[in-house]
Amino acid sequence: MNKGWIGFLASLALLGSVWAQRSDTIVIAQGVDVTVLDPNNQLETPTANVLANIFDTLYMRMPDGTARPWLATGVRAINPTTWEMTIRQGVKFHNGEDLTAETVKWNFERVIDPQRPLRISNSWANLASVQVVNPTTLRFTTRNPFPVFVTRLTGFYILPQKYVTENGNRYLQEPVGTGPYKFVRWVRDQQFELEANPNYWGGAPKIRRVIFRPIPEASSRVAELISGGVDIITNLVPEAVNAVRSSGAAEVRSVPSIRNIFIMLNTSGKADSPLANPKVRLALNYAVDKRAIVKNVLGGFGQPTGCPLNSYIFGYDARSCQPYEYNPTRAKQLLAEAGYPNGFTMTMGSPNGRYLNDRQVAEALVGQLAQVGVRVELRVQEWSTYVGQILERRIPTDAVLLGWGNNEFDADNSLYSLFYGGTVRGGPRQVAFSYIRSVPLDNALLQAQRTTDPEQRKKLYLDALRVLRAESPWIFLHQQEDLYGVSKRVDWKPRPDERLFAADMALK
Amino acid sequence: MAAYLIRRLALVLVVVWGTATLAFFLLFLSGDPVNLLLPLDATPEVREQFRKANGFDRPVWQQYLSYMGRAVQGDLGISLRNQTPALGLVLERMPASMVLAGAALLFAVVFGVLAGVIAAVRKGTTLEFVVLFFALLGQSLPVFWLALMLILVFGLELRWLPISGYGVGPLPGLPALANLVLPAIAVGTFSMAAITRLTRGGVLRELRSDHVRTARAKGLGERVVIYKHALRNAAIPVVTVIGLQLGNLLSGAVITETIFAWPGVGRLVLTAVTQQDFPVVQAAVIVFAVLLAVINLVVDLLYGVLDPRVRYA
Repeated sequence: MNKGWIGFLASLALLGSVWAQRSDTIVIAQGVDVTVLDPNNQLETPTANVLANIFDTLYMRMPDGTARPWLATGVRAINPTTWEMTIRQGVKFHNGEDLTAETVKWNFERVIDPQRPLRISNSWANLASVQVVNPTTLRFTTRNPFPVFVTRLTGFYILPQKYVTENGNRYLQEPVGTGPYKFVRWVRDQQFELEANPNYWGGAPKIRRVIFRPIPEASSRVAELISGGVDIITNLVPEAVNAVRSSGAAEVRSVPSIRNIFIMLNTSGKADSPLANPKVRLALNYAVDKRAIVKNVLGGFGQPTGCPLNSYIFGYDARSCQPYEYNPTRAKQLLAEAGYPNGFTMTMGSPNGRYLNDRQVAEALVGQLAQVGVRVELRVQEWSTYVGQILERRIPTDAVLLGWGNNEFDADNSLYSLFYGGTVRGGPRQVAFSYIRSVPLDNALLQAQRTTDPEQRKKLYLDALRVLRAESPWIFLHQQEDLYGVSKRVDWKPRPDERLFAADMALK
Repeated sequence: MAAYLIRRLALVLVVVWGTATLAFFLLFLSGDPVNLLLPLDATPEVREQFRKANGFDRPVWQQYLSYMGRAVQGDLGISLRNQTPALGLVLERMPASMVLAGAALLFAVVFGVLAGVIAAVRKGTTLEFVVLFFALLGQSLPVFWLALMLILVFGLELRWLPISGYGVGPLPGLPALANLVLPAIAVGTFSMAAITRLTRGGVLRELRSDHVRTARAKGLGERVVIYKHALRNAAIPVVTVIGLQLGNLLSGAVITETIFAWPGVGRLVLTAVTQQDFPVVQAAVIVFAVLLAVINLVVDLLYGVLDPRVRYA
């Protein structure tokens, strides 16, 4: 290569990076691209992360996990099946359209329209009707008590009624919302460009231009971050932590995520099968050194847990969720008491690559359980086969490693979905995930679904957590942490709901 | 010639039909898409509704017939993820894949032929050894490793070239030249090595032949002898390989496109496979089948141009 040629290439490269590094622009790289532009017709984190900058929700998830009024200014329960909502005044969509109670009503009717179900419609199946009381007030009627009404509002985006109805499906090409950023353009698999909305009701955002780039390969994302091509990368792998830290250009920022990782045990075997015995299950919990796993397998990015919930979730109780101590002596003793002084053999399944170092976590468990005499045969499977077996209750192993990310931040989403055993007379059938069958547990979970009083619900979930503590139906492992690589020029803290709100960001 | 063309075109149709059928049935071996597309906490009712809405509840042969019926009309289904026509998604990414394949091919042919000729002419020298060493290396390096090394060296250490993405090119729809360089090298290296070895062999054979001896005897310059007399004749197998390589370059860029975040079909296919987006995978397979069949036909026709002795019947 002669010098001229190198110079030419270098100047082109420079041009590229200058273009990306303009002082009023931030570039964010996620693994995959946006799929659809209707925020109420998707359930994917990367898509929601982009669209949540254009559209506002009625309530907003706060970094501590609570929900705060947003486009709605408040919601109150009039009775267990009726809610009244007030709407923020003076909010305008990017095209100048006003936000009114009528707009909100139209949005809900669009979602619950049985003729054209959207991806979020299922969450609102309980909603019977919406009435406009006056220009800023609405009344919602539900079929059954709906305690998760407010928390679900954090995932309900408001679209402009006139624009959508007048443009038919064209609104899907140029989305218009009330959010802090306006849509500029989207080139599939290349970039999604946003521009600050100077008239945003919450105040104009600090960064003028935001670009989302899909970069599928984890190491390419890291290379782009270190070279300054992008400012924020998601899903940083623990192996790349040192490379980012030593780069001088970027740093690693993490936040405990809403997702808990655990081993689901098949407790439904015959009375003489080891896992049907609560003593054995308790022993397994004592036999696992969660701190060592977090430290050595997850690079320190995780928190040991002792229950299916975590502190973001409504219904969490610190005492009932204390991690089980690591005590192999006690574990052996319990096994002996249960009639297994020489341990036993079991099988365990694990996905590979679905959760942070999932297979490695499973391998570490195999080693630790062997210390107390429990011989585990590990079967690693590809995710879609794995999850299919779990959903259809055709699980070939005695135990499975699984994670649960509670997108409602409410105990109902975790506890009911995972443990409701269908023992209540006239109640719903057992859900796919539950192995354990406990009448007090099922009663608490069902009652909590049917009351809207938060204090009463908290008490019911406390009851449920106590039953779980006594039964130890799973091996509780850890709460995962989400890792991000962030350029040093960016002022931003990651959030537990994984959202990437550009309005929260600033350039130093 | 006309009869030959018609026969070949009919064969193209058979190949495309066979591929489409294969693609349709193979995908059913890979698991239930409903489980992958819906979140873990979706209720059984929702799963059933989704299964119905997408036609996954019907017998496979029914799904096949209606699939083929629609395919003939150019409707290859709606992407489950993007909720837009699958064929559109594939065609939309075709230009990026073609630009990359074209650049890689250009790189492979120019450097491959050049290196091959050099190795043949300088037979027995250290230069030949070096060329052959790199040709062997080029054919043995895994593409993903080469791609990552290129990023590490030219993107991260030297900072000469962008690491990923399409960039903004001189003309709408075209990539920035700087963005094209690394992916093109990564994709083209294997083909370049193949062309180098083939060209070397061909030229060596021709250099020993009678007509080259005659050309030399009548006093032609060495340059003319090599490029006009030896290379022209050595070109036929090289053209075959270039044709085959073009197919490889187009369809085989899955890993490279993913690593360099190149907005091509390969990356679309990989995403679609991991997300079990049936229609997109099927559409891509069919489009590639058509493309490869046409490329092969063109290569066959090109023989006639290069070698007047070839007749079509």
